Amino acid sequence: MIKGSIVKDEQAPLYGVVLFQSISSALRSEKLLKKEGIAYKLIPVPRHLSSDCGVCIRFLSQDESQVREVLTGKVEIQSFCPL
Amino acid sequence: MPKIVDCRGLSCPQPVIETKQALEKTERVTIIVDNLAARDNVARFGQSQGGSVTIDEKKDGIYITIEKGKQGRRRAKAQSSKIPEHGPIVVVIPCDQMGRGEEELGHILIRSFLHALTEVSGRPDTMIFFNTGVKLTVKGSEVLADLQTLEKNGVEILICGTCLDYFNLKEKIAVGQVSNMYAIAETMLSAGHLVTV
Repeated sequence: MIKGSIVKDEQAPLYGVVLFQSISSALRSEKLLKKEGIAYKLIPVPRHLSSDCGVCIRFLSQDESQVREVLTGKVEIQSFCPL
Repeated sequence: MPKIVDCRGLSCPQPVIETKQALEKTERVTIIVDNLAARDNVARFGQSQGGSVTIDEKKDGIYITIEKGKQGRRRAKAQSSKIPEHGPIVVVIPCDQMGRGEEELGHILIRSFLHALTEVSGRPDTMIFFNTGVKLTVKGSEVLADLQTLEKNGVEILICGTCLDYFNLKEKIAVGQVSNMYAIAETMLSAGHLVTV
Protein backbone atom coordinates (compact mmCIF):
# COMPACT_ATOMS: atom_id res chain seq x y z
CA MET A 1 0.00 0.00 0.00
CA ILE A 2 1.22 3.47 -0.83
CA LYS A 3 2.24 5.37 2.25
CA GLY A 4 -0.32 7.92 3.26
CA SER A 5 -3.10 6.42 1.23
CA ILE A 6 -6.54 5.91 2.64
CA VAL A 7 -6.99 2.57 4.32
CA LYS A 8 -9.78 0.72 2.60
CA ASP A 9 -12.26 -1.63 4.07
CA GLU A 10 -11.03 -5.15 3.42
CA GLN A 11 -14.48 -6.39 2.59
CA ALA A 12 -15.14 -3.58 0.16
CA PRO A 13 -18.14 -4.31 -2.04
CA LEU A 14 -17.68 -4.88 -5.77
CA TYR A 15 -18.50 -1.98 -7.99
CA GLY A 16 -19.06 -1.26 -11.65
CA VAL A 17 -19.20 2.06 -13.45
CA VAL A 18 -21.16 3.50 -16.35
CA LEU A 19 -19.12 5.78 -18.61
CA PHE A 20 -20.71 8.54 -20.65
CA GLN A 21 -19.84 10.77 -23.55
CA SER A 22 -21.17 13.88 -21.86
CA ILE A 23 -21.85 15.23 -18.40
CA SER A 24 -25.47 15.82 -19.30
CA SER A 25 -25.90 12.07 -19.83
CA ALA A 26 -24.33 11.42 -16.45
CA LEU A 27 -26.73 13.85 -14.83
CA ARG A 28 -29.74 12.38 -16.60
CA SER A 29 -28.70 8.91 -15.46
CA GLU A 30 -28.31 10.12 -11.94
CA LYS A 31 -31.88 11.38 -11.91
CA LEU A 32 -33.19 8.10 -13.31
CA LEU A 33 -31.31 6.00 -10.78
CA LYS A 34 -32.39 8.22 -7.93
CA LYS A 35 -36.01 7.87 -9.02
CA GLU A 36 -35.68 4.07 -9.03
CA GLY A 37 -34.02 4.06 -5.62
CA ILE A 38 -30.86 2.38 -6.88
CA ALA A 39 -27.72 3.08 -4.86
CA TYR A 40 -25.09 4.93 -6.91
CA LYS A 41 -22.35 7.46 -6.58
CA LEU A 42 -21.13 10.07 -9.01
CA ILE A 43 -17.33 9.80 -9.09
CA PRO A 44 -14.47 10.99 -11.30
CA VAL A 45 -13.64 8.48 -14.04
CA PRO A 46 -10.99 6.15 -12.55
CA ARG A 47 -7.52 6.73 -13.98
CA HIS A 48 -7.27 3.31 -15.60
CA LEU A 49 -10.44 3.96 -17.61
CA SER A 50 -11.17 6.84 -19.90
CA SER A 51 -14.16 8.60 -21.29
CA ASP A 52 -14.88 11.91 -22.96
CA CYS A 53 -16.68 12.99 -19.83
CA GLY A 54 -14.67 13.21 -16.59
CA VAL A 55 -17.34 11.84 -14.29
CA CYS A 56 -19.08 8.51 -14.23
CA ILE A 57 -21.60 6.69 -12.12
CA ARG A 58 -20.53 3.92 -9.81
CA PHE A 59 -22.99 1.23 -8.78
CA LEU A 60 -22.88 -2.01 -6.86
CA SER A 61 -22.01 -4.88 -9.20
CA GLN A 62 -24.98 -6.83 -7.91
CA ASP A 63 -27.27 -4.08 -9.27
CA GLU A 64 -25.78 -4.06 -12.76
CA SER A 65 -28.70 -5.60 -14.62
CA GLN A 66 -31.09 -3.22 -12.92
CA VAL A 67 -28.92 -0.23 -13.80
CA ARG A 68 -28.69 -1.35 -17.42
CA GLU A 69 -32.43 -1.75 -17.57
CA VAL A 70 -33.11 1.71 -16.17
CA LEU A 71 -30.64 3.52 -18.41
CA THR A 72 -30.72 1.64 -21.70
CA GLY A 73 -32.57 3.51 -24.41
CA LYS A 74 -32.98 6.60 -22.25
CA VAL A 75 -29.42 7.83 -21.95
CA GLU A 76 -26.42 7.80 -24.26
CA ILE A 77 -24.00 5.39 -22.65
CA GLN A 78 -20.38 4.89 -23.63
CA SER A 79 -19.82 1.64 -21.76
CA PHE A 80 -20.21 -0.38 -18.59
CA CYS A 81 -16.98 -1.44 -16.83
CA PRO A 82 -16.23 -3.37 -13.69
CA LEU A 83 -14.21 -1.29 -11.24
CA MET B 1 11.75 49.29 30.53
CA PRO B 2 9.38 47.38 28.26
CA LYS B 3 7.99 48.85 25.10
CA ILE B 4 4.48 50.17 25.68
CA VAL B 5 1.73 49.87 23.12
CA ASP B 6 -1.42 51.78 23.88
CA CYS B 7 -4.38 49.93 22.40
CA ARG B 8 -7.10 51.73 24.30
CA GLY B 9 -9.98 52.60 22.00
CA LEU B 10 -9.03 49.94 19.49
CA SER B 11 -11.43 47.13 18.71
CA CYS B 12 -10.59 43.47 18.09
CA PRO B 13 -8.52 42.12 16.50
CA GLN B 14 -6.38 45.29 16.35
CA PRO B 15 -4.82 44.92 19.85
CA VAL B 16 -3.69 41.37 19.02
CA ILE B 17 -2.19 42.52 15.73
CA GLU B 18 -0.35 45.36 17.51
CA THR B 19 0.91 42.88 20.12
CA LYS B 20 2.15 40.51 17.48
CA GLN B 21 4.00 43.27 15.66
CA ALA B 22 5.55 44.57 18.88
CA LEU B 23 6.75 41.08 19.89
CA GLU B 24 8.42 40.64 16.54
CA LYS B 25 10.67 43.59 17.37
CA THR B 26 11.18 43.28 21.12
CA GLU B 27 11.32 40.68 23.88
CA ARG B 28 9.11 42.39 26.39
CA VAL B 29 6.08 44.51 25.77
CA THR B 30 3.27 46.08 27.76
CA ILE B 31 -0.05 46.44 26.02
CA ILE B 32 -2.71 48.74 27.42
CA VAL B 33 -6.30 47.88 26.57
CA ASP B 34 -9.64 49.10 27.83
CA ASN B 35 -11.93 46.12 27.55
CA LEU B 36 -12.12 42.52 28.72
CA ALA B 37 -12.34 40.93 25.29
CA ALA B 38 -9.13 42.66 24.23
CA ARG B 39 -7.49 41.65 27.55
CA ASP B 40 -8.37 38.00 27.03
CA ASN B 41 -7.34 37.95 23.39
CA VAL B 42 -4.01 39.67 24.00
CA ALA B 43 -3.26 37.45 27.03
CA ARG B 44 -4.13 34.33 25.06
CA PHE B 45 -1.92 35.43 22.22
CA GLY B 46 0.93 36.03 24.68
CA GLN B 47 0.52 32.53 26.11
CA SER B 48 0.41 31.05 22.63
CA GLN B 49 3.84 32.56 22.09
CA GLY B 50 5.15 30.56 25.05
CA GLY B 51 5.81 33.70 27.01
CA SER B 52 4.94 34.85 30.51
CA VAL B 53 1.89 37.06 30.80
CA THR B 54 1.13 39.39 33.69
CA ILE B 55 -2.04 41.42 33.90
CA ASP B 56 -2.38 44.57 35.93
CA GLU B 57 -5.81 46.16 35.98
CA LYS B 58 -5.37 49.84 36.70
CA LYS B 59 -7.87 52.65 36.77
CA ASP B 60 -6.88 54.01 33.39
CA GLY B 61 -6.68 50.67 31.62
CA ILE B 62 -5.62 47.05 31.69
CA TYR B 63 -1.84 46.64 31.44
CA ILE B 64 -0.74 43.33 29.99
CA THR B 65 2.97 42.62 30.05
CA ILE B 66 4.23 39.84 27.85
CA GLU B 67 7.75 38.54 28.05
CA LYS B 68 8.84 36.08 25.44
CA GLY B 69 10.22 32.80 26.72
CA LYS B 70 12.94 30.88 24.88
CA GLN B 71 10.28 28.79 23.23
CA GLY B 72 8.39 31.94 22.29
CA ARG B 73 11.46 33.45 20.68
CA ARG B 74 11.92 30.37 18.60
CA ARG B 75 8.30 30.24 17.66
CA ALA B 76 8.11 33.92 16.77
CA LYS B 77 11.07 33.40 14.49
CA ALA B 78 9.45 30.42 12.83
CA GLN B 79 6.23 32.34 12.37
CA SER B 80 7.89 35.32 10.83
CA SER B 81 9.49 33.19 8.16
CA LYS B 82 6.92 33.38 5.43
CA ILE B 83 5.63 29.84 4.95
CA PRO B 84 6.36 26.88 7.23
CA GLU B 85 8.07 24.51 4.83
CA HIS B 86 6.62 21.32 6.21
CA GLY B 87 3.48 22.71 7.71
CA PRO B 88 0.13 20.98 7.43
CA ILE B 89 -1.85 20.76 4.21
CA VAL B 90 -5.07 22.69 4.61
CA VAL B 91 -7.93 22.46 2.12
CA VAL B 92 -10.48 25.25 2.22
CA ILE B 93 -14.03 24.65 0.98
CA PRO B 94 -15.71 28.06 0.84
CA CYS B 95 -18.71 26.98 -1.15
CA ASP B 96 -20.89 23.93 -1.88
CA GLN B 97 -19.49 23.97 -5.42
CA MET B 98 -16.03 23.63 -6.91
CA GLY B 99 -15.02 26.74 -8.76
CA ARG B 100 -17.26 29.62 -9.73
CA GLY B 101 -19.46 30.05 -12.73
CA GLU B 102 -21.84 27.26 -13.60
CA GLU B 103 -23.69 26.11 -10.52
CA GLU B 104 -24.79 22.69 -11.71
CA LEU B 105 -21.28 21.89 -12.90
CA GLY B 106 -19.81 23.19 -9.65
CA HIS B 107 -21.94 20.72 -7.67
CA ILE B 108 -20.75 17.82 -9.81
CA LEU B 109 -17.14 18.89 -9.49
CA ILE B 110 -17.18 19.16 -5.70
CA ARG B 111 -18.61 15.64 -5.41
CA SER B 112 -16.03 14.38 -7.83
CA PHE B 113 -13.23 16.19 -5.98
CA LEU B 114 -14.18 14.92 -2.52
CA HIS B 115 -14.42 11.37 -3.81
CA ALA B 116 -10.98 11.75 -5.39
CA LEU B 117 -9.58 12.99 -2.06
CA THR B 118 -10.54 9.68 -0.46
CA GLU B 119 -8.77 7.74 -3.22
CA VAL B 120 -5.51 9.56 -3.87
CA SER B 121 -2.35 8.92 -1.90
CA GLY B 122 -1.66 11.65 0.60
CA ARG B 123 -4.41 13.61 2.23
CA PRO B 124 -5.06 16.98 3.80
CA ASP B 125 -4.33 17.44 7.50
CA THR B 126 -7.24 19.81 7.91
CA MET B 127 -10.26 20.83 5.87
CA ILE B 128 -12.12 24.05 6.59
CA PHE B 129 -15.71 24.57 5.51
CA PHE B 130 -17.39 27.93 5.52
CA ASN B 131 -20.16 29.93 3.82
CA THR B 132 -22.28 27.52 1.70
CA GLY B 133 -19.46 24.98 2.06
CA VAL B 134 -20.97 24.01 5.44
CA LYS B 135 -23.98 22.54 3.61
CA LEU B 136 -21.71 19.71 2.52
CA THR B 137 -21.17 18.61 6.12
CA VAL B 138 -24.76 18.11 7.24
CA LYS B 139 -27.28 15.28 7.10
CA GLY B 140 -28.51 14.60 3.58
CA SER B 141 -25.34 15.88 1.93
CA GLU B 142 -24.28 13.80 -1.04
CA VAL B 143 -20.64 13.96 0.02
CA LEU B 144 -21.18 13.09 3.66
CA ALA B 145 -19.85 9.55 3.31
CA ASP B 146 -16.65 10.85 1.70
CA LEU B 147 -16.15 13.41 4.45
CA GLN B 148 -16.76 10.76 7.10
CA THR B 149 -14.18 8.53 5.41
CA LEU B 150 -11.68 11.37 5.40
CA GLU B 151 -12.32 12.10 9.05
CA LYS B 152 -11.95 8.43 9.94
CA ASN B 153 -8.60 8.49 8.19
CA GLY B 154 -7.33 11.33 10.31
CA VAL B 155 -8.37 14.48 8.49
CA GLU B 156 -9.43 17.22 10.87
CA ILE B 157 -12.65 18.84 9.67
CA LEU B 158 -13.41 22.33 10.90
CA ILE B 159 -16.81 23.86 10.21
CA CYS B 160 -17.63 27.53 10.59
CA GLY B 161 -20.15 27.86 13.43
CA THR B 162 -21.35 31.26 12.27
CA CYS B 163 -22.22 29.77 8.89
CA LEU B 164 -24.07 26.77 10.39
CA ASP B 165 -26.02 29.22 12.48
CA TYR B 166 -26.78 31.45 9.50
CA PHE B 167 -28.20 28.55 7.49
CA ASN B 168 -29.91 27.14 10.58
CA LEU B 169 -28.01 23.86 10.22
CA LYS B 170 -26.43 23.47 13.66
CA GLU B 171 -28.63 20.53 14.57
CA LYS B 172 -27.92 18.74 11.32
CA ILE B 173 -24.15 18.61 11.45
CA ALA B 174 -22.98 15.07 10.71
CA VAL B 175 -19.19 15.23 10.46
CA GLY B 176 -16.30 17.28 11.83
CA GLN B 177 -16.29 19.84 14.59
CA VAL B 178 -17.87 23.26 14.87
CA SER B 179 -15.17 25.87 14.89
CA ASN B 180 -14.74 29.62 15.11
CA MET B 181 -12.98 32.28 13.08
CA TYR B 182 -9.92 32.37 15.39
CA ALA B 183 -9.24 28.68 14.91
CA ILE B 184 -9.93 29.02 11.19
CA ALA B 185 -7.58 32.00 10.84
CA GLU B 186 -4.84 30.29 12.88
CA THR B 187 -5.15 27.08 10.90
CA MET B 188 -4.86 29.01 7.65
CA LEU B 189 -1.83 30.97 8.82
CA SER B 190 0.05 27.94 10.07
CA ALA B 191 -0.55 25.92 6.91
CA GLY B 192 2.37 24.70 4.84
CA HIS B 193 0.05 24.44 1.88
CA LEU B 194 -3.30 26.15 1.70
CA VAL B 195 -5.52 24.85 -1.06
CA THR B 196 -8.78 26.65 -1.84
CA VAL B 197 -11.30 24.81 -3.95
